[in-house]
Amino acid sequence: MIATVVDWDALLQVIWVSLVAGVGVPAAWGFALLGTTRALESGRNGRAAEGVVYGVVGVVGLATVVAAIIFSIVILTGD
Amino acid sequence: MGSEIIVVIVVATALIFDFTNGFHDTANVVATSISTRAMPPRVAVGYASILNFVGAFVSLEVAATVANDVVSVNANSIGLLAVFAGLVGAIAWNLITWYFGLPSSSSHALIGGMVGAVFVAEGSENVFFEEGILGKVMIPALVAPVLAFIVGGLAIVVLYRIVGRLRPGPVSGGFRFGQVISGGLLALAHGTNDAQKTMGVITLALVANGTLSGDEFHVPDWVVGSAATAIALGTYVGGWRIIKTMGSRIHKMDAAQGFAAQGSSATVILAASHVGFPLSTTHTISGAVIGSGAAKRLSAVRWGVAGNIVLAWVLTLPAAAVIGGLTFLVARAFGTGAAGPIIVSAAILTGAGMLFARRSREGAAPGVVPAPGSTPS
Repeated sequence: MIATVVDWDALLQVIWVSLVAGVGVPAAWGFALLGTTRALESGRNGRAAEGVVYGVVGVVGLATVVAAIIFSIVILTGD
Repeated sequence: MGSEIIVVIVVATALIFDFTNGFHDTANVVATSISTRAMPPRVAVGYASILNFVGAFVSLEVAATVANDVVSVNANSIGLLAVFAGLVGAIAWNLITWYFGLPSSSSHALIGGMVGAVFVAEGSENVFFEEGILGKVMIPALVAPVLAFIVGGLAIVVLYRIVGRLRPGPVSGGFRFGQVISGGLLALAHGTNDAQKTMGVITLALVANGTLSGDEFHVPDWVVGSAATAIALGTYVGGWRIIKTMGSRIHKMDAAQGFAAQGSSATVILAASHVGFPLSTTHTISGAVIGSGAAKRLSAVRWGVAGNIVLAWVLTLPAAAVIGGLTFLVARAFGTGAAGPIIVSAAILTGAGMLFARRSREGAAPGVVPAPGSTPS
């Protein structure tokens, strides 16, 4: 009976969106922290090229978080 | 005239429920931010109340589920009485669990109360047990905390892999700042999912009164605005006893765990809101909190406390249903006019006042926040 009464499309959508966004966004924030921290350390130690690479990692991580939040709000307000 | 008075009482009762929902549930939203010291308690609660208000305007999918898919009421005074009794069942259960410091679920209390009252008032044919209650409430209710547990656990494992070799000071600061964002999203998600349940119930009452047509789902703007305001005010007043349970009694969290728990539960609730599943914020964030703790170290989780929370969840639906059904019988005993709701409202207000007075005498009045790291009672 359960198989027929559950809206599987909706439930599976909740599951995959939660897994992708719930792990992906914190991971992106982790990369933002990693990039920022390492970029500052590299800059202090005079390793400019390494600092730039880590800086890019930090910016991309932060941009991913911001984009994910904006995207989710746009999707929700479209209901 | 009699039915108009009942509508006013039902709307007021629904908004009081919404207030108690914010009071009871949203403490869970800010608990992790407070326990990791990402935000001072008053700032966290104020911030959460603003985002609850905003969140109420985001979507109407959950309101449609509550108004159309769980129960139906006939457009008469019995239908109105049933909606009123369902709300009283939910409020009574929320007060009982608040008094004993148990994180129950306002959402399931509301649905349980409505099901019990409508079952007694209108019969089983007006309660949609399969597609509605089982398919859109019970199954998602079981899936959500498990999903939040898995997502919260995976998120913290991934986070530790990414930042594990960094110096702890700046990383903790970064995650505390991240909690301002994740806590805000969780508050927004709570407002989105929970305020809509009240909107759905008020809409149901307006349909029962004949004010709105039952053929086409529509939530008036004043219903959205008043539900948003009530849940935001309830959040601001806060349920401090439950902050203590969620924030420190399950396990001691670091800022990364708090961030992972808030982020994963916000994601699950927002995704569920998008498809119209009326989830419980409490269930979901509890699952994420436990998942983020268990992923680090199984013994860090106080499983006994987690077990008590599960017990409260299991009891919520049937207990609220029984109270809702009994409330309908009591209100109906005074006829189909406004006398029953007025008498029941007076009784519930008196009971609530007595519980607050007793709690205050015991020295654990709302507004008293235990110092971080204090021994849980």
